[in-house]
Amino acid sequence: MEITIKIFRYDPEKDTRGHYETYVVEGDENDRVLDVLELVKGKTDGSLAFRRSCAHGVCGSDAMRINGRNHLACKTLVRDVGANITVEPVLGLKVKKDLVVDMDPFFDNYKKMLPYLINESPLPADGRERLQSPEDRARFDESTKCILCAACTTSCPSYWANGNYYGPAAIVTAHRFIFDSRDEGASERLHILSETDGTVRCHTAYNCTEACPRDIKITKAIGEVKMAMVTGKLD
Amino acid sequence: MGLNRNVSLMTALRYKGQGPFLTYILHRIGGLGMAIFITVHLLASFLSGKGGHFINAIYENWVFQIFIFFCVLFHAINGLRITILDLFPKLIPYHRQAITIEWVAFLAIYGFAVFTIIRTGLGG
Ligand code: SF4
Ligand code: FES
Repeated sequence: MEITIKIFRYDPEKDTRGHYETYVVEGDENDRVLDVLELVKGKTDGSLAFRRSCAHGVCGSDAMRINGRNHLACKTLVRDVGANITVEPVLGLKVKKDLVVDMDPFFDNYKKMLPYLINESPLPADGRERLQSPEDRARFDESTKCILCAACTTSCPSYWANGNYYGPAAIVTAHRFIFDSRDEGASERLHILSETDGTVRCHTAYNCTEACPRDIKITKAIGEVKMAMVTGKLD
Repeated sequence: MGLNRNVSLMTALRYKGQGPFLTYILHRIGGLGMAIFITVHLLASFLSGKGGHFINAIYENWVFQIFIFFCVLFHAINGLRITILDLFPKLIPYHRQAITIEWVAFLAIYGFAVFTIIRTGLGG
């Protein structure tokens, strides 16, 4: 089948602003949008820039706007979006070239959440594992699935309006540790998130939840963090 | 080098965020509509003469009343839905169902109000 793909193009060495270019390629309805981009890059225009690595929805490098909405290109089939496809970079991060955006601010916010286990207590008597019940593990199971693709943060109108907002992905990261029964850094993280650029900027537009390729219920996670802040309880 | 991160209002509105995003946008339109209405209303009461009469004539017009009632009612019902889900995060996964219920309640009340406003406005 014939697939028409309109792609946002921007070359910092030549352009002062972005523009669109349209390509027609032969493909299959079961192709992924990533395959179509590879076809364009491999056969028509080698200068096209986009990120990809695993091509299987694991590494989180190919989030982009496909027909006006954030998706992973490697998890989006042509048959689900139609043969006329528009591909643009995600919003709210600087465009470096074509579909490649500057992810530094995103990862800076991630780091602010202290994304590691904090536990200063002595090890258990056997000196080995800090055990956890299946119920306690289930409490934060969903937020462990984040692949840091930024589809959520860059779909959030609060983040578009204010790049200082930590964003939904950072809060999901914080959630993963705050509700981990082995972790002792919850109050520190809740304090960070109670700052003006924290959860107060979430106005429940739900764009993040709709965009997440891992089906994480992000707004729920943010709601739980907000509630923990108000009640001081982690149950 | 790179394009800046600014997202224009038009680009933001074109984002296909689906049903929840629509309520988010309408909530803001409702809030803005009410803020403008109250400001103009206050202004009108301080302005005497033609200016005041002109402003009064606008918001006493039934077309404007349909608009302002939309703003107030949608903002109230949507705000109620947001508050309930904020207080009970466990319900958040059912936000789509909550939004459906919200639309049903809104359309029923708003439909009745619009019918009444038009009938009165047309002198029925
Ligand atoms: S929460 Fe979902 S959308 Fe956001 S960065 Fe993680 S995987 Fe991507
Ligand atoms: S290329 Fe790794 S998630 Fe798409």
